[in-house]
Amino acid sequence: MSFKKKMKKIKKIKFTLLLVLLFFFSCTSSSYLKLRVEIPRRTAFNLEQFSEIVITNFFIKKRTKKFDLNQELVNYFASEIEREFKGKTSSKTISLEKEEVFSDKEFWKNLSLDLKGAVLLTGSAQYSEEIRKAISETKKDYSEDLSSKGKIMEERRFYTLSLNLCLIDAKTGEALYKRSFKESKGYKNPNQTAPFAFFELIQIVKGKFFRNILGGTKIQERYLISD
Amino acid sequence: MYRKLTAYLLILPLLSVFLLTCSRPVLNNQIHFGIQAAQKDLWDEAVFRWKKVINSNPESAAAHNNLAVAYEKKGLWEQAKKEYETALKLSPKNIYIKANFENFNKNYELQEKDEKDKKN
Repeated sequence: MSFKKKMKKIKKIKFTLLLVLLFFFSCTSSSYLKLRVEIPRRTAFNLEQFSEIVITNFFIKKRTKKFDLNQELVNYFASEIEREFKGKTSSKTISLEKEEVFSDKEFWKNLSLDLKGAVLLTGSAQYSEEIRKAISETKKDYSEDLSSKGKIMEERRFYTLSLNLCLIDAKTGEALYKRSFKESKGYKNPNQTAPFAFFELIQIVKGKFFRNILGGTKIQERYLISD
Repeated sequence: MYRKLTAYLLILPLLSVFLLTCSRPVLNNQIHFGIQAAQKDLWDEAVFRWKKVINSNPESAAAHNNLAVAYEKKGLWEQAKKEYETALKLSPKNIYIKANFENFNKNYELQEKDEKDKKN
């Protein structure tokens, strides 16, 4: 075979190889894009299916002195839900005489609230306060009283907020979602006020409750790919 | 002249085979359109593109994976799960699909657990 013929054959092979490679890469190469995606949290209850939330008064198991728990709850939920819920928010006063009323479908159905596509936020609540004595350790100072061993008796003021929240379908009277919360916090300061502690405790409840009904979002990384 | 003509005649069928049998570049365009839309936060458009790819080529693991991400973004958990599973079935070794599915499962299982706890 002459040199010229050999060169021609090599050229042909090269050309075919190039075509095969081109075909291979265009068909099989894959690329990706890393994207930060705002992913909604899965919620136990989809509140977005309702156009309105009506916040009713709460059934108060035991009254707290100098603190209107019902009013504080209604005000708090009304303002917080209004901020985060896309639909309408309103409040209504209903006569709640016993706690069993929350599972009484007929009671809510017969209220004839004339609300279409609304859900009622209601429930029972209790806010208590107590003073507990506890032994706590202080920085040991052996130069003074050795018998005390750095331990002192301290009084602490504890506040407990118990909430049974319930979401009721205004149309059917059916309880769609129920959740109980019990949050407690102790304060060293014996003069700690009930409203201040309430605000701290209700914030904790809000975090848990809203996460379950409104969800929220979180940013996560995902890969978008092409074949 | 004659040689050139034969060369062209050889190239032409090769090119046509390349263009006709390998339809992926065209479908890839749709996938890329979808990705671009997703980058611009136009997830409905992205879903439309990737669904189109799946209609023409149900074996596209990329389209199934991307569609799963879009469903996740929209909060459609069950659909997202189904798409991830299909994507993994089609391409079990793909590290990107695996990573996506693992992250998806973390969110999914966490919520399942939460719901079970509430029932108990």
